[in-house]
Amino acid sequence: MTTPAPTIRVRDLAMTFGRTRALDGVTFDLVPGVTGLLGPNGAGKTTLLRVLATVSAPDGGSVNALGLDPRHTDQRLDLRGRLGYMPQEPGFHARFTAFEFVDYVAILKELHQRRARHEEVRRVLELVGLGAVRGKQIKALSGGMRRRVALAQALLGEPDLLVLDEPTAGLDPEQRLRFRELVSRLGEGRTVLLSTHQTEDVVALARHVMVLHLGGLRFAGTPLELAGLARGHVWQSQERDPGALAAWRTGTGQHRNIGDPPAGADLLEATLEDGYLLLLGGDHVEEPAA
Amino acid sequence: MAGPDTTGAWHAGGDLLAAYNDQRLDAAARWSVEAHLTSCTACRLQARALVDPARLERLRAALIDAVDLPRAGMAERLLVRLGVANHTARLLAATPALRGSWLVAVAATLAFAVLAAWTHSGPDANLAFLCVAPLLPLAGIAVAYGPGVDPTYEIGLAAPLPSFRLLLLRAAAVLATATLLAAAASLALPQLGPGAAGWLLPSLGLTASSLALATTVAPLRAVGITAGAWILAVMATVAPPAPSSVLFAVAGQVAFAAVALLGAAVLLVRRGRFESDRGFDTTPRFAARRLR
Repeated sequence: MTTPAPTIRVRDLAMTFGRTRALDGVTFDLVPGVTGLLGPNGAGKTTLLRVLATVSAPDGGSVNALGLDPRHTDQRLDLRGRLGYMPQEPGFHARFTAFEFVDYVAILKELHQRRARHEEVRRVLELVGLGAVRGKQIKALSGGMRRRVALAQALLGEPDLLVLDEPTAGLDPEQRLRFRELVSRLGEGRTVLLSTHQTEDVVALARHVMVLHLGGLRFAGTPLELAGLARGHVWQSQERDPGALAAWRTGTGQHRNIGDPPAGADLLEATLEDGYLLLLGGDHVEEPAA
Repeated sequence: MAGPDTTGAWHAGGDLLAAYNDQRLDAAARWSVEAHLTSCTACRLQARALVDPARLERLRAALIDAVDLPRAGMAERLLVRLGVANHTARLLAATPALRGSWLVAVAATLAFAVLAAWTHSGPDANLAFLCVAPLLPLAGIAVAYGPGVDPTYEIGLAAPLPSFRLLLLRAAAVLATATLLAAAASLALPQLGPGAAGWLLPSLGLTASSLALATTVAPLRAVGITAGAWILAVMATVAPPAPSSVLFAVAGQVAFAAVALLGAAVLLVRRGRFESDRGFDTTPRFAARRLR
């Protein structure tokens, strides 16, 4: 299998808020398909996604998305016409109905031809399973439904690049399942970058995964490779192992430990979550010593 | 041919249907054909074959759109009736300032100012009216656009419609509304004479300068600074014997016309600053206006 050409090239991206380095020289390529962005709170995920969505202009480094450089006004506008963005905390005009709200964003996306625009609004609302409630005021919708309204507006105009900031937060398991199905379908032929706290989301639908921590990119690869980091570093024991970087008591009463196992430890199969925790946990431990 | 078929049932026939399709029938004949078509599958199929499929699809889409479209809100319907294009009306209807509470506040403030001038008729009451009127569009602009005010600010930035155009559109709508209301209020103060229009140029000047300032600081702060400067300026220039201010005399008016032009020029030159969120505080201030 040949690797597809990257659609997004990010080089040495830097972003500073006051004294905080939110992004500290981040470099990566994205290819079509779904890429999951993992990282603890405050890692810089939202900042990175906002830069890719052209909402924030970075302090340093460069972004080339779909062959366009957002530093140039005309290319930025072109890019905005081809990207869909779902912010972490999308706001709504409460008195608008779901249809009116998505129609409003469609106008911001400059779909001026009225009937074609209305058809497109209906299409995306159907796609997220909200066709039946499109006439309802947003303030009357449940939290999960509102997130789907926010997702619907990102899908307007079949964008080539989808930037989704924690799209599964607040969804119940069934909604999450439907969401994964939809996004994995959207990921065919499109570049989708989504941030999440749910390692299950990444396992379920991402072809690639990146881990961001303290403004730096700590990992970029496949979900399998991230899980592979923890191979031979996960073991179970009767009591919490004091030498473990992270450990927790599981439902069976046994403890699952991550770190450097003692000799003769009862090794377990590593998951993506183990790899992620090992990556961050190691960092937490090493930092004070350095 | 129209007439009965072999089973004795009556059918419209090809000629009549062709005439119907070409819109060559008079009203009575058209209605008879339509009445028949609703009850006769055979004729309906025959008629359908005559219609260009593309046209049929177009008509069907138009019909679905018309039937399905939710009724627009009151503000939006009013704007469309005033001749505003439907997509512009939607952009304006989403302006937080134009959604009721600001309108009520503006009307109430003006009513108080007029009432004060009536019950207390004197130059200082008139001065209060002239001082308050230019602040009203400013208050509207503070809640018309920007981070923390517009719930879709971020989505709007990521969309191709230039944010500057959205800002101008909303500022114009707010300014027009406030100006209309203030003009109506001035009519209720005949004792002011032509001086009753003294708020108009300061109003334009303050609006333009707060928008120009919003290219540097968050829109809310820009409005705060401008409003503060205005109040200080009025207080500093009020002079006896009959309390009046040079701001409402010819010199002041000319100065505000110049400020308005200067503000507009700065705004135009620096409009690119509205195209990303850099430098602006994006924390929402009006939690009640936002739904998560």
